[in-house]
Amino acid sequence: MEEGELLIRNGVVYDPINGVKGEKKDICIRDGKVVEEVKNPKIIDAEGRVVMPGGVDIHSHIAGAKVNAGRLFRPEDGRKGVKARTKVCRPESGYSVPNTFATGYRYARMGYTFVMEAAMPPLAARHTHEEMVDIPILDNAALPLIDNNWMTMDYVKSGDTDLLAAYIAWMIKATKGYGVKVVNPGGTEAWAWAKNCDLNDAVPYFDVTPAEIVKNLAVANEKFEMPHSIHVHGNMLGHPGNYGVTTSTYDLVKGIKPYRDRPAMHATHTQFHAYGGTRWGDFESKADVIADYINKNENVSIDLGSIILGDTTTMTADGPMEYSLYQITGRKWTNHDVELETGSGITPFLYSGKSPVNTIQWAIGQELALLVKDPWKLALTTDHPNAGPFIGYPIIISMLMSKRRRDESAEDMHKVIFDRAEYSSIDREYDLNEIAIITRGMAAKTLGLHEHGKGHLGVGADGDVAIYDILPEERDAGKIQKAFLNTKYTIKGGEIVVKDGEVVATPAGKTYFVTPECDEKLTDEMMVTLKDRFEHYYSVNFNNYPVQDAYVPNPYEIKAPWRS
Amino acid sequence: MVEVTDVVCSLCGCVCDDIVVEVEDNKVTKVKKGACAVGKSKLMGHGRIESPAIRENSSLKECSYDDAIKKAAEILAAARKPLLYGWSSTVCEVDKVGVELAEEIGGIIDNTASVCHGPSVLAIQDVGLPSCTLGEVKNRADLIIYWGANPAAAHANHMKRYSYISKGYWTEEGKKKKKLVVVDVRKTTTAKLADVFLQIEQGKDYLVFSALRALLYGYEDVVPEEVGGISKKNLLETVRIMKEAKFGIIFFGLGVTHTRGRHNNIVNAIQTTRAAHTHTKFSIMPMRGHYNVNGFNQVCTWETGYPFAVDLSRGYAWYNPGETSSTDLLVRRECDAALFIATDPGAHFPAESIRHLSKIPVIQIDPFPNPTTEFADVVIPAAISGIEAEGNVYRMDNIPIRLRKLVDTEYMADEEIMKRILDEVRAIREKEGE
Amino acid sequence: MQTIKLKIKEEVTSGAAKIPVEVDPLTPDKLAGKTEAEIKAVKVWWGNKEENTGDLFDVSVEGEAGSAEEVKIVLEGDLSRVKHIGDGMKAGEIEAQGDVDMHCGAMMQGGRVTVKGNADCWAGREMRGGELIIEGDAGANLCAMYRGEMTGMTGGKVIVGGNADECAAQYMAGGEILIKGNTNILAGLNMSGGKIVIEGDAVMPCADMTGGEMMVKGSKVRDIIPSFRLVGTESIDGVEYKKYIGDLAMTEKKAKGVLYVK
Ligand code: SF4
Ligand SMILES: [Zn+2]
Repeated sequence: MEEGELLIRNGVVYDPINGVKGEKKDICIRDGKVVEEVKNPKIIDAEGRVVMPGGVDIHSHIAGAKVNAGRLFRPEDGRKGVKARTKVCRPESGYSVPNTFATGYRYARMGYTFVMEAAMPPLAARHTHEEMVDIPILDNAALPLIDNNWMTMDYVKSGDTDLLAAYIAWMIKATKGYGVKVVNPGGTEAWAWAKNCDLNDAVPYFDVTPAEIVKNLAVANEKFEMPHSIHVHGNMLGHPGNYGVTTSTYDLVKGIKPYRDRPAMHATHTQFHAYGGTRWGDFESKADVIADYINKNENVSIDLGSIILGDTTTMTADGPMEYSLYQITGRKWTNHDVELETGSGITPFLYSGKSPVNTIQWAIGQELALLVKDPWKLALTTDHPNAGPFIGYPIIISMLMSKRRRDESAEDMHKVIFDRAEYSSIDREYDLNEIAIITRGMAAKTLGLHEHGKGHLGVGADGDVAIYDILPEERDAGKIQKAFLNTKYTIKGGEIVVKDGEVVATPAGKTYFVTPECDEKLTDEMMVTLKDRFEHYYSVNFNNYPVQDAYVPNPYEIKAPWRS
Repeated sequence: MVEVTDVVCSLCGCVCDDIVVEVEDNKVTKVKKGACAVGKSKLMGHGRIESPAIRENSSLKECSYDDAIKKAAEILAAARKPLLYGWSSTVCEVDKVGVELAEEIGGIIDNTASVCHGPSVLAIQDVGLPSCTLGEVKNRADLIIYWGANPAAAHANHMKRYSYISKGYWTEEGKKKKKLVVVDVRKTTTAKLADVFLQIEQGKDYLVFSALRALLYGYEDVVPEEVGGISKKNLLETVRIMKEAKFGIIFFGLGVTHTRGRHNNIVNAIQTTRAAHTHTKFSIMPMRGHYNVNGFNQVCTWETGYPFAVDLSRGYAWYNPGETSSTDLLVRRECDAALFIATDPGAHFPAESIRHLSKIPVIQIDPFPNPTTEFADVVIPAAISGIEAEGNVYRMDNIPIRLRKLVDTEYMADEEIMKRILDEVRAIREKEGE
Repeated sequence: MQTIKLKIKEEVTSGAAKIPVEVDPLTPDKLAGKTEAEIKAVKVWWGNKEENTGDLFDVSVEGEAGSAEEVKIVLEGDLSRVKHIGDGMKAGEIEAQGDVDMHCGAMMQGGRVTVKGNADCWAGREMRGGELIIEGDAGANLCAMYRGEMTGMTGGKVIVGGNADECAAQYMAGGEILIKGNTNILAGLNMSGGKIVIEGDAVMPCADMTGGEMMVKGSKVRDIIPSFRLVGTESIDGVEYKKYIGDLAMTEKKAKGVLYVK
């Protein structure tokens, strides 16, 4: 047997990026990469089971300051996922806020091999990286928050998108980040004074609007060959009647030409932004309006943020939203505003099928998936852990694949589901190819990672493979759910990491980061202002700010040259 | 001579990072800027543990690093309930190895939070923590409350860099436009600067917080004329100041975590912050002591799910301070071996704990000799983090900052010592398994 | 009826270190139907090692039982380092003949535990049903919640013959507790349901209460929380009590707890 060679034989392969829709096909891997052929490999006989590229999660909160604050203040969640160490694995704990080890193991058991940490507060970027290094198996990256930053708002006000581009380039490099994350633009800064902002409100003291922030960041982002678009959590998340704000936010990037074949905006956890009604009492689904927009336009991609019923821990940089949630529940509430940059809030939340509001939220997530016609426009997420923990993905998959499962579930929900959501009238059922798109293909493409070996199984791709213990014709929703929770095999970089649902190896993952290359003169000009900010307002020195190389021991750099 | 700028102080939870020093002949010869008196003295260095040593017939005998590490591993591998304690005055990279070692030996890992801000952590677990970074306070706060904390003595640069005396974006005029409220049982040096000083009766903090909450919510009628030694008039005045502030912050210290009511005092302080937040922006922050006490809590949380006092006897984490916290374990004589790293239980633990420690094998890892050295059975000298070794630490407001290495040393760094102990333990385990 | 006697061996508790034995696997429902030899082979944690029950306890079994209800476990010897007695038990009876260590009767769902001496902290933690009788004193956090939870005891009945230490019944949501002695600070903290009767005195009772009822029969109640509202007096069993409603520090809307003091 040749060292480092693997052959997966007799699998039925779903590799949507390469147009492979359920073909019997062998996968050859050598030295961690997919190759044309192998000579004397170790052989896995997939026995006709479903084979997909390793899963790619476009948006999940798995590492960093607020995830850890969530763990720290919920020992009661910690004791829910306890598992003793094994010869290979370190101890697991936690359900909605699992420890780093459990995070890696559980994703790997579901066949995932890449996860994007969706919100990195720049000043605490070292923290995010420290945790990502500690998550076994998964390749990872993180999106720094660059929208509520004083520097950003000042350049938006002056209208100088070149200098804004220089700033975001510096920030992405300084944090070893992957792209531009936007969370409640302007609203989080306003929250530092216990206020909030709607899309066209002026941010207190800064004299810019959230709409201007989003638009200018999109323009600045596309000045580089950035793999990913701006990644937007818009204003008014979770407020009844917010769907209009949502489509208006989408409109902001109309006419902005993306650098490559992806939209100019990725709008995340759309479920939370597709709300009708005027208050909780008349709350209703507007998934149809949002889906219609997505169907008719090419400027935005979305992910679901679908609800998983049960208790979870909500956490976002959207401080005011978490505060209103806490006011509803009266449960524990942590808030952490970050100087000159961002903020965050955390509070536990129970999604109950008995609650009319939660029931509609639950329906909205799935409606979006069923009403958006082109699966390449959306990714499966639960905005882990906000709408529910990522280990709930298989539940959503089984729902999307089975109308019967949906009907049965609807019976157990609050009856409001039959009159304030379209849920029960939708017949569509996803096939495995479409599932492969929303769980790996779309995310890889939207993040530009398919060019770096993720999300597909073409020659040259990473040897990341998931083998699910079902046959392609399986229709039993329960079996589908079970299969997607624990793979038959997960292979990462050519190495078997999960076998029969058990983690058998825990190689370290790589951290992907982008280096936007900005004109030196622009950078110098921007730097004068930046250094002044540090001198007078930051509580950390400029020279101690950037993330040192020591924090990224397994780096994968993607260069993003200046375009003009 | 070289000048080194942006040096980070490895002493208290302020983690000042704007220090300038001079280095000559591999020694810090001058602290030019930034550090307070105690920070300065740490940077300048003092007496060290000179050599690894193992106790034989009641006296320490010098030995090699190899022998000391091997001995330490033997002690830990044989123990039924070993305790690994300290971790707050070293870097996160070391803490990580500590957690791994605790898993390997089925031990209990705990840090000094157990005897300082552990109650704050327990309170956060009850109600959460509305807080912010110190730069937010610097730029925005117009009301600063120190409750049971005396930064003038314990965190010398705190007011200057971050709070009352600092200047920021909306606070250009510094303390002129700020209000300082101090609550304490005695008139401390900080209290002398205060606009309002509330002298509280010992052990009555809980009651005063409840009264403030009632007043903040508008139930003036129920609050008696005097609570905890403070008149209703003064309470009302404090509430008025709180409501009128644009951005208020409560910093609290051991004066309130360690009196009657302990962690529930902090729950109530946080509840008071929540009540104030219904009127204006309000935050609260513990004045963490050691420079990386918070860092251990962070590492331990992301690795085990829990911040301190984690019992890994069963191969998974069980967390229950009061049961799994060091002083409780030692007073109850539950442990049969202990490792202390970068800490001094000899000076800080109750006498009963020390009595038990004298009966079980004790390992000490530290750059400096201290009362624990007097009874330790294995002593391993270490490089000084922040002077001779680099690494990550977390400031009291959760900001991660990297300590710099300023000079070279012959002493082994904590991280290497810990990794070698772990390797030795694994070697012993493998032999046992054969 | 079946009686299982478990007498802890002296060498377990006589070392320099007093390492607790954790006996959560030794409940009537888990042992019902097992032979003496099988019981001896049940694994219990002692520090970081799992040991055979028979290596740590002298085991003897008398009589037969058709179900867990008919099993009585009698624990003997120095039990001050025996944790988790009756933890999670569903039925049957346990009698501990002396002082017991932490978590006695924790998560109990049914059956009865009787402690002939004192019980250390967290006795009856998160108790859901059954009966817990502590003839001596109870340590801190009697019938409280686990760290971070907002629900403690939800059902069952507890009697403490002596005093109870700090934070008894924190986050109690249901069930009944009778404490014949005094309570230390913050009994009934965060209480939202259920009933507590304290025959002795109390200090700072019922802080952050949102529901349920506490009656303090002793003459001394020190440091009443200043955010409680005195609403009048009531005569109960011929005794005059002051009636307080609280805790207003939780806001008026939530302040639905009732506290009676003399
Ligand atoms: S305040 Fe603390 S961190 Fe700053 S110099 Fe003094 S001891 Fe060091
Ligand atoms: Zn998110």
